[in-house]
Amino acid sequence: MSKARRPIALTALALTGALLLAACGSSGGGAQGDGKTLKLWHYEAPDSAMGVAWNQAIAEFKKTHPGVKVEFEAKGFEQIQKTASMVLNSHDAPDVMEYNKGNATAGLLAKQGLLTDLTPQVTKYGWDKLLSPSVTTTSKYNAQGVMGSGQWYGVPNFGEYTMVYYNKDLFRRNGVKVPTTPAEFTAALAAFKAKGITPLADAGAEYPAQQYFYQLALTRADRAWVDSFQLYRGKADFHDPAWTYAADTFADWVSKGYIAKTSSSAKAEDAGVSFINGKYPIFFSGSWWYGRFKTENKFSWGTFLWPGTTLTPGSGGNLWVVPKNAKNKQLAYDFIDITMKKQVQNTLGNNGGVPVAADPSAITDPASKQLIENFDHVSGSDGLAFYPDWPVPGFYDVMVSAVQKLITGSAKPGDVLDQLQKAYDEGVPAS
Amino acid sequence: MTVRTRGPRTTYPLYLLPGAVAFLAVVALPFGMNVWYSLTRWQGVGTPSWAGLANYRQLIHDSQFWESFRHSLAMVLAMAVIPTVIGLVVAAALFDFVAKHYGSKPASVLRACFYLPQVLPITVAGIVWSWILAPEGGSLNALLKDVGLGSARQDWLGDPGIALYSVMAVMVWVQLGFPVVIFMSGLQRVDPALHEAAELDGTSWWQRFWHVTLPQLRPEIYVVMLWCTIAALKVFGAVYVLTKGGPAGATDVPSYFSFATFFEKTQVGYGSAIATVLTLIVLALAVVGLRFQTKAEDER
Repeated sequence: MSKARRPIALTALALTGALLLAACGSSGGGAQGDGKTLKLWHYEAPDSAMGVAWNQAIAEFKKTHPGVKVEFEAKGFEQIQKTASMVLNSHDAPDVMEYNKGNATAGLLAKQGLLTDLTPQVTKYGWDKLLSPSVTTTSKYNAQGVMGSGQWYGVPNFGEYTMVYYNKDLFRRNGVKVPTTPAEFTAALAAFKAKGITPLADAGAEYPAQQYFYQLALTRADRAWVDSFQLYRGKADFHDPAWTYAADTFADWVSKGYIAKTSSSAKAEDAGVSFINGKYPIFFSGSWWYGRFKTENKFSWGTFLWPGTTLTPGSGGNLWVVPKNAKNKQLAYDFIDITMKKQVQNTLGNNGGVPVAADPSAITDPASKQLIENFDHVSGSDGLAFYPDWPVPGFYDVMVSAVQKLITGSAKPGDVLDQLQKAYDEGVPAS
Repeated sequence: MTVRTRGPRTTYPLYLLPGAVAFLAVVALPFGMNVWYSLTRWQGVGTPSWAGLANYRQLIHDSQFWESFRHSLAMVLAMAVIPTVIGLVVAAALFDFVAKHYGSKPASVLRACFYLPQVLPITVAGIVWSWILAPEGGSLNALLKDVGLGSARQDWLGDPGIALYSVMAVMVWVQLGFPVVIFMSGLQRVDPALHEAAELDGTSWWQRFWHVTLPQLRPEIYVVMLWCTIAALKVFGAVYVLTKGGPAGATDVPSYFSFATFFEKTQVGYGSAIATVLTLIVLALAVVGLRFQTKAEDER
């Protein structure tokens, strides 16, 4: 090689090396921090109950930790969901992060050793004494990453559950009685249909349809059934009476017009907005809609738990997790502890959220009071049945596809259950 | 004293170097890593375990993949074949009719209108189309009702028998502007004498289009077909925004299938195998297309 070309070649080599290194990324890390910076990520909207409460927690943290800088980054749910493993495996991991709960999410990270075992901190700070056993199921993961037992890898400080939202004006105007039993519920659906009103707001392209489907199965299930399906403590048989009842009933409700065939491509937002617009008298969905309905519904409305069962889709809320590579873990523990304090929990409750450790007398809004009381009732009676897409990775999409087939009538209930069984069996981790 | 200047042969490689390095870093290396992951079982974290060709064997027997691939061929029709055919007619009409009778300005405005969907981000276009095609409150169904065709109303994106055609129609709308613009610029370079001579011979517009315009535009047609076919095989954004592969897999395409397998099911090895096969198919098509194009240019 001539002397003239050597510098160019060396530059090129250095550039190649730098680019290759950049492309390879970095891993490891785990260096100790200076204790002066708390790096925090969460994905709650700033005006949501959680967003408001976490902002208060940050302000409180700054007050109690003078000289410590909080580096907060607002993330998107999808953003964290899709990139968490890569980020947590690098030296860029935050000190504390909000993360989705369940086997396929927090469980997977815990199994891979990317999260800090919080068990000693839980005991030290007494968080376990503030949370009901039902809520803590999603905090603990065993060596296989299955929730419900093992070490604490996350701390939830709010709850969520599904309920029947109903339009009191439409019920009254059409002379329909608010149901308290399964038979009355079906009768109410038939009464609305007879008046030319499709009773149930639904969305086949996203979670609402599968929550109707799962809730129908739960009306014929018990805790052992839920544990078999969600925690693999037994065989989940999708042709058992509960799943069969759910598939048959759902298909029947579509054929009778209780659920619109046109809901197959609708998204959750479409279903919620159609309820807000007073088009449908009933919408079955989660407590995360509560605050929005409170603000946007222009009619009188109420909620009740699905009649005829103590089990309802729901769980402890998202988890605060501390990555294994976090640099300032002590600051992270202090922050989590602040989110569990009464004042932050009360803020959460008064903004339409479901706190897990609030002072009941501090919740002043009657609607929020009822929301929290219902949650306490469900979680206190061991009624939180989690969500149907949790057990295995990718089951959400399988569920969407399967229930869409029931809505469009493109497959028989038995075939839909076959599809679910196959996907579930393929995804269950080998013990 | 003689001054020695470097010839093109000695300096060309230096100019190619940055591009080659960038290609290595952002294309070749990730592709190599993707191929490596496709030979493993991996959940995205932890250590991948060697699986050999197991993912590819699974792929061969995966009816969902082949179904998604069939949808891909439908997308080739919607994004390459139909826009090319319509684009040729539209470009020729704008060039021969609009520009001649109304001047070049209206022709340019119309060309820009056809091109507008190409400028719009696909997510924006997808969201707008999902509103238009919504079964309840969607403007297409409302329009059908208003003109007395209420019985023709459909659940355009929710009926498994119709959803794929709806997505295809949206993609025709998205793609049409590209061939129109390319063909119109191609028509600028066609010698007007050819058309004048044909006109003097008493040919109809259609005969001139078929025997003069089309053969002259052959290089542009190759470019458009190749470009649009590759875009069709890779289509992702529109499917993600409009249907997420649904209802019940009716609009699933390999790129979305790979994405869902990779990120939703966290089957990184299998998702990588799908992506690898898709890349090889696109690469093979590109090579064949480029060969055809070169051959056509050589024959001119």
